[in-house]
This record gives sequence, C-alpha cells and structure tokens, in this order.
Amino acid sequence: MNDDGTLDDAGLREVARRLGVRAADRVDVERTAQAVVARLREERHAPRSREAWLWTSPVWLKIAAALVIVAGAGVVARAVRHAPSGLAAPVETVDLGDLSVAELRELLQSVEQPGAAEPVSWLDVGLEDLSPAELRTLLASLEPET
Amino acid sequence: MTPAEPVAAVPSPTDAALIAAWQGGDEQAAAELVRRHTRALARFLAGTGAPEADLDDVVQETFIRAFRAVATFRGQCRFRTWLLTIGGNVLKDAHRRAKRARVVPLADELRSTDGDPHERAVAAEAEGRLGEVLQGLPRLQREVFLLRAQQGLEYDEIAAALGTTPGAARVHYHHAVKRLKECLK
Repeated sequence: MNDDGTLDDAGLREVARRLGVRAADRVDVERTAQAVVARLREERHAPRSREAWLWTSPVWLKIAAALVIVAGAGVVARAVRHAPSGLAAPVETVDLGDLSVAELRELLQSVEQPGAAEPVSWLDVGLEDLSPAELRTLLASLEPET
Repeated sequence: MTPAEPVAAVPSPTDAALIAAWQGGDEQAAAELVRRHTRALARFLAGTGAPEADLDDVVQETFIRAFRAVATFRGQCRFRTWLLTIGGNVLKDAHRRAKRARVVPLADELRSTDGDPHERAVAAEAEGRLGEVLQGLPRLQREVFLLRAQQGLEYDEIAAALGTTPGAARVHYHHAVKRLKECLK
C-alpha cells in the first residue's frame, strides 16, 4: 500500500492472492470429491434415455426415412392403379342387318325403357332432347324426398 | 544395530496419470483430482464473482464438465489451468441464469467468524473492493489478472489456456492492473 492509500503492484497482487481464500476454505473438499464421483458414477451407469437414443441414432433415422419413402411410393402406386382412366369404353358398332328377328325384338325392348336402369340427370342431356315421359322422370328425381 | 533405512517417498501420481486412470474407470483417481484442485478452483471462482452460497455447486459443476470433456484435454496447459477456464465458463452460465432470479449475497465480513475483528474487517474491505472492481472488467482481463496475480501462472500458461498469445495475455493483465488501480484509489 502506498502512503496515499493507493495500491501498488505488490499490494494489488497481495490482495488478489487473498481474494476468495476465506470462501474457498469453507468448501468441504472431501464432500465435494465424493459428490463429484457419485455424479460421474451415475452418469456412467445411467442408460441413455430411449428418446435421446432414437433421435441421435443416425442408423435409425435412415431406416425411418427409408420406410416413409417406401410407404409413400406404395400409396401413390396404388392410387394410380385404381384411378378411373377417364377414357370411354370403345363403342361396339353393330350392323342391324346381321341380327335375327328375335335379336332385333330384344334390342327394341331395351331401347324403349331408357329410365328403368338409372335416373336421368339434367347434366347428361339437353331438355329439348327429352320425351314427355323422360321429363316426368327427371322432375320426379328433382323433387325432394319426404 | 543397523541404520534405519530411509523411507522412500512415494511420488504422488501426476495429473496426467490420474486422468488416464479415471478414463480407465478408476473413480478414486477422479476423487484425487478433485481433492487436489478444489481449493484453487474455489478461490478463482470466488475471485471472479461466484456468490459464496453457490460456490460448492459451481465447483462441482466445473469438475463434472471437466471430466465429461477430459478427452479433449490435450495437455496444452496444466490440468488446473484448463479447469479454471472451464470454471469461468460455468460461472458465466450461472450468472446468465441468476439474472432471472437475482439474489443479494450476504457480505463476507458479516459471515466471517474467525480472526481479529479489525484486521478481518480491513482485509474484507480491500478484498471486497477488489472483487467489485474486478466484476466491472471485461471477462478476459479479469481472468488473466486472476490467473496471473491470484494463481501465480506464467503468461505462456495463461495464453495456452485462454487460446491467446503470451503478448496479448500480458497486455490484458496490464490493462486490468491499470483499471484496478484507478478504481481503487
């Protein structure tokens, strides 16, 4: 310490050397050593958590990614295979002259019952193309059910 | 009568030998390293601003981190110096957490119960002032000052531990001393 009360280099070093000594003396060295060893032992023997293992294992991440890709590809392939093609079935043309009388009668019967199989939708035809019977069927299909 | 044979002093194992033994699974080697360096570490941590109430915890946490990372210790400096720098990092993290839940530590002189009361008060005042001013220094200056003035390390050793050059460490030390002298007038 200088005469004016300020610290010289040596005084500063001396105070620095004393700094923390009393606090450090209060630390129980043996207890600290045992506590550190116990924690280290715990860490060494504790199995890594399942979650941490899963997220940090590159092998499992790769396998999971591969499964997702395979499953996705399967779904897409299945959807493509079952999708309607959008193409109309080829129309088979028939020469009426080749048909027998019985076949012609059967054909006429099937043509005379247009609404029997399925109701007529206004989307399928123009109203002007419909017969009175077909119009009645269409109106009936549009009426709300009670 | 045969003269008594001199008892051969068993040299204590080096830090490097204890580290190797710990890595081989010897828990007592780890315990010996803790016994060997706890006081110096605690002094350094107290000097860098560790609250006394938390000193035990910070010391323990420093050792735990050091043992976890011991494979990265390449002997660039002494184990103790390396440990002190880890302690500085642990304390920095603790300060960051403490900012959220700030507590006022009890002053040293109020807790101390041994020694002459007047001397104790004078010493505590000087240490307290130095500690306060040290907290106002940049971290590197503070750590270089403590490693040099409190722990008595050479600049080469300090530089290796802090990842700087001996010349830069010397400059940090002198800046720290200059600031401390100004503030302690």
